[in-house]
Amino acid sequence: MKVPLRWLGEWADLPSLETLARRLSLGGLLVDEIERRGPDLSAARVGRVVERSAHPNADRLSLCRVDLGDGEPVAIVCGAPNVEAGQTVAVVSPGSSLPDGTEVKRAKIRGVTSHGMICSERELGLGAEDEGILVLDSDAPPGSPLSDVIEAGETVLDIEITPNRGDCVSMLGIAREVRAHFGGALRLPPCAPREGARPAAADVRIEIEDGERCHRYAGRVVRGARDGPSPDWLRRKLEAADVRSISTVVDVTNLVMLEFGQPLHAFDLAKLAGGEIRVRRAASGERLCTLDGQLRELSTDDLVIADADEPIALAGVMGGAATEVTAETRDVLIEAAQFLPSSVRRTARRHGLPSESSYRFERGVDPEGVERAAARAALLIAELAGGEVSAGAVVALGDPPPGTSEILLDPARVNRLLGTEIPADEVRELLARVEIDAIPERQGLRCQVPTYRTDLHRYQDLIEEVARIWGYDRIPTTTPAAPLQPILPRPLQRLIERVQDCLCAAGLIETMTFPVLAAGDLDGLRLPPDDPRRATVGIQNPLVEGANRLSSTPIPALLHLLRQNRSRQVDRVRVFQVGHVFAPRAPNELPDEPCLVAALVTRGQDAHLWEPRDPVPLFFEIKGIAERMMEAAGADATFRGGGEPYLHPGACNEIAVAGRRVGVVGELHPEVARHFEIDCPAGLFEVDLGALSACPPGAAGFREVSRHPSTRRDIAVLLDERLPAGEVLEAIRKTAGPHLMGVELFDRYEGEGIPEGQVSLAFRMVFQRPDRTLKDQEVNKLVDRVVQMLASRFGGEQR
Amino acid sequence: MGTSLESLDSLAREAEATVAAAATVQALAEVRAGFLGRKGSLSSVLRGIGRLDPTERRRIGQAANACKDRIESLVARRRDQLELARVEGVLDGRNLDVSLPGAAPPRGRLHPVTLIQRDVIRFFSSMGFSIEEGPQVETDYNNFGALNFPDDHPARDTQDTFFVDGGHVLRTHTSPVQIRTMSGRQPPFRFIAPGRVYRHDSGATNSPMFHQIEGFIVDETTTFADLKGVLYAFARFMFGPDVELVFRATFFPFTEPSAELDIPWEGGWLEWGGCGMINPHVLENCGIDPDRYQGFAFGMGLDRAAMQRYGISNIQRLFDGDLRVLEQLG
Repeated sequence: MKVPLRWLGEWADLPSLETLARRLSLGGLLVDEIERRGPDLSAARVGRVVERSAHPNADRLSLCRVDLGDGEPVAIVCGAPNVEAGQTVAVVSPGSSLPDGTEVKRAKIRGVTSHGMICSERELGLGAEDEGILVLDSDAPPGSPLSDVIEAGETVLDIEITPNRGDCVSMLGIAREVRAHFGGALRLPPCAPREGARPAAADVRIEIEDGERCHRYAGRVVRGARDGPSPDWLRRKLEAADVRSISTVVDVTNLVMLEFGQPLHAFDLAKLAGGEIRVRRAASGERLCTLDGQLRELSTDDLVIADADEPIALAGVMGGAATEVTAETRDVLIEAAQFLPSSVRRTARRHGLPSESSYRFERGVDPEGVERAAARAALLIAELAGGEVSAGAVVALGDPPPGTSEILLDPARVNRLLGTEIPADEVRELLARVEIDAIPERQGLRCQVPTYRTDLHRYQDLIEEVARIWGYDRIPTTTPAAPLQPILPRPLQRLIERVQDCLCAAGLIETMTFPVLAAGDLDGLRLPPDDPRRATVGIQNPLVEGANRLSSTPIPALLHLLRQNRSRQVDRVRVFQVGHVFAPRAPNELPDEPCLVAALVTRGQDAHLWEPRDPVPLFFEIKGIAERMMEAAGADATFRGGGEPYLHPGACNEIAVAGRRVGVVGELHPEVARHFEIDCPAGLFEVDLGALSACPPGAAGFREVSRHPSTRRDIAVLLDERLPAGEVLEAIRKTAGPHLMGVELFDRYEGEGIPEGQVSLAFRMVFQRPDRTLKDQEVNKLVDRVVQMLASRFGGEQR
Repeated sequence: MGTSLESLDSLAREAEATVAAAATVQALAEVRAGFLGRKGSLSSVLRGIGRLDPTERRRIGQAANACKDRIESLVARRRDQLELARVEGVLDGRNLDVSLPGAAPPRGRLHPVTLIQRDVIRFFSSMGFSIEEGPQVETDYNNFGALNFPDDHPARDTQDTFFVDGGHVLRTHTSPVQIRTMSGRQPPFRFIAPGRVYRHDSGATNSPMFHQIEGFIVDETTTFADLKGVLYAFARFMFGPDVELVFRATFFPFTEPSAELDIPWEGGWLEWGGCGMINPHVLENCGIDPDRYQGFAFGMGLDRAAMQRYGISNIQRLFDGDLRVLEQLG
């Protein structure tokens, strides 16, 4: 809310600006900005013309000696016709600038040096007057700042009002807060109009049909007014508060709203069918053309103001065009009411019409301020637009508003909650500053809450009042006492940290992205129509058109990220993400949110001096990272046949723990790469960390290192080229017995000397016993067993 | 050659020159054999020693041993020289341009928010707070209703909510974890809830996805003064020992009294988070007696702390996946 300082000063006694802004902010009304409007007069000083004489070399110029309060009067050449000795004037000295930025210099004018400038209103940015210099009506001492002498411009506080403080969206409310912090007076403008003899009740009838949504409705009538432009003071006041001036009647309703926080509406009384107001719900099919010229279909949930025939305003939100006050209007009906906040809010949102009025109604208005505001408006309209105020207000009442008028507060509770030692008397005094009467009784303080404080319901609310007026900064700083208890990380949290650390150590960069799918992402992954990831959770109000589904897979985000980085000329992309994806469940249930880690690795195009000529295929690089990660996760993982539609069918594995699939690894399918506009091979994996943390941990512990030498044996076997080597390795492990320390594939050869369709695989086996050296014959027996197994099971022939 | 001291002397002198002239280890071995071998010069000098009288024999014998030692040491020294020269020759052959940078393994990075989150968890674990979590898609009730946001109340405007299928929301804060943790249990509670939250807003200072940490104590005695104590400790951990905190009164539906936390920072203010004493309605909604139990809650963004740590002015830099940025952080 914009609060012009001068205006606020009419209502309350103000301390210095800095103190005011600080205390209001600390006390709950955040001063977001202090805006200074108007010319910057800081360079101008008050001067007194001690002597004036004609310029020796120019007829129209005067030579003045001006006292600036700092020693000898200075010589200033002045061209204004109205300059005279004895005048108090505004002077800008050399080296300083006029408000428009023009620098004033010491200058020789027709042979005489001028030490500054005596300014006109226009030169000071104060007005258009340029016939002569500004002559001040002041006895201020020479040398004092000009801003002490004349009021120029405006200081406006921009105050953020929290949603609970509807009472503060007004000068009155801010002035009350000022008084709560600093004491002093609260000055209200006159609110009692001079009334004619004719009772308002003779002009209009008011009936509330929906008492639940309209607690109070007051009408005031001004007869014989003539609306027109507002006087200057009114326009300036509204403009200072950033409200546009429209016409006297409208401006008055706005002014009073700013003053008291009570929204008002003015109807052309003559246009009300039947001369009556009915506050009711809109009937199905009813329509209303609002002030903005829009014809609106009304909902039966909308509260409207109607005349005898039809709706004439959306209650608390906007008036109708048909009953608008115009230049032809003579009789004005002023509406002041209290509507149910939630009803106004729904209507304002339904019709997309947030307004100053709905803003205040949503936050609650003071039921006791309704009639006062109507009376104040009637007074001003009669004063500024003429006419006679009819006697009295027409007031209709609905159900009483829900509210709390009395709260019992045990003063000991204050200190128990805050950790302070504020005496009970001081608690009472602090409450009194926010107009809460606290009457001591046996059970505590019986506190009378003012009607405008719709936010106070329980004793804790009163403790907040005490605390914020007393000052949060005065509350001591202590350490809570609590029993010692062990704090252990949860298994999933620990798993995530291990996975993150491992991938970081493997040279991958962690990224985080907003988990939404772009249009076409799932098709791009080649997911079949019945894939569970096709079911997604929709976002009803997406930030970006089309990005309206929460991610059901982490892969598209990585692929988009890859493409963007390639287009930014990042050569190598090695990234991972840990995050949740979303899978819908039954309609009313919350979605499932599995936590996945997904990684992506590419090779750049720029080779380096130290890199091997023939690096391992990308698949083995990404698989190696996945293996290392599974190891870090403490899982005994198996990599076996299987994959995903988005992976290259010839280069993928499924990752399983204890027979259960937890993820996949592989190279990106070329079709998918094309869809996502990716121009380089990419290796990926994804692992479900939730599933992984539910798996039994891998075997821990270690095997003692043998003191006896090991024996190494190599064999080369001709095998069918389609046979997966992983399977052969597994079979060798099982066959060779407990003394096989390890077996690896160290060569794969096909081509010359190898029959068509076959391949030569060379395995290296290492044997060792913990207790003694193995004899050659023993090892030979084991190797023979392996060779026989390879022959019988795989048709392998030793070379 | 006669068996005399003179002949031993000349032998030694000859050896000196010959050993020095040996150009390889192989040649040196031959030179040594030529002097000291079974058929070597020294042996032939000593061959006539038997004919000498005992006194003379001892004198010549001692001189011969000295001569032998001398030659051995000449050979050894020369062998060392040759060995050194050989090694140097090898080293000479390898000529790397050592001004080139090392072949470092690829650089991994943890996300700045991950690092901040870990710091924060470590800090609060040390203060005895356990860690609780909740889902990112939440019920309207857990995100709003139970936290004392009435339906159709302007307090909801402050939350810029993403609405999703099923009448649910993307949680706008980590506070629903309070409801999940307290419901069906009784105090004492002392926990933090770090996590990802969402607001329908995007700009230089606001990202639709960001991270919060919620902290929470409920028991019979914890006060606003305790809240200040915990937050001062936390602020000192995050921003250094001289940090100043300003507790500014404000409104949150779920706390009463409520405060915004500001930190004077580089001539302006850093809005660090919000806090307050838990609103009795929230306790009641979780089945906890608000006249018996009380406590505090606080919440702050982790992303802003990460931005401040690395001097990032636009929050989007954290989440747009630009590796040119991320590889510098963490």
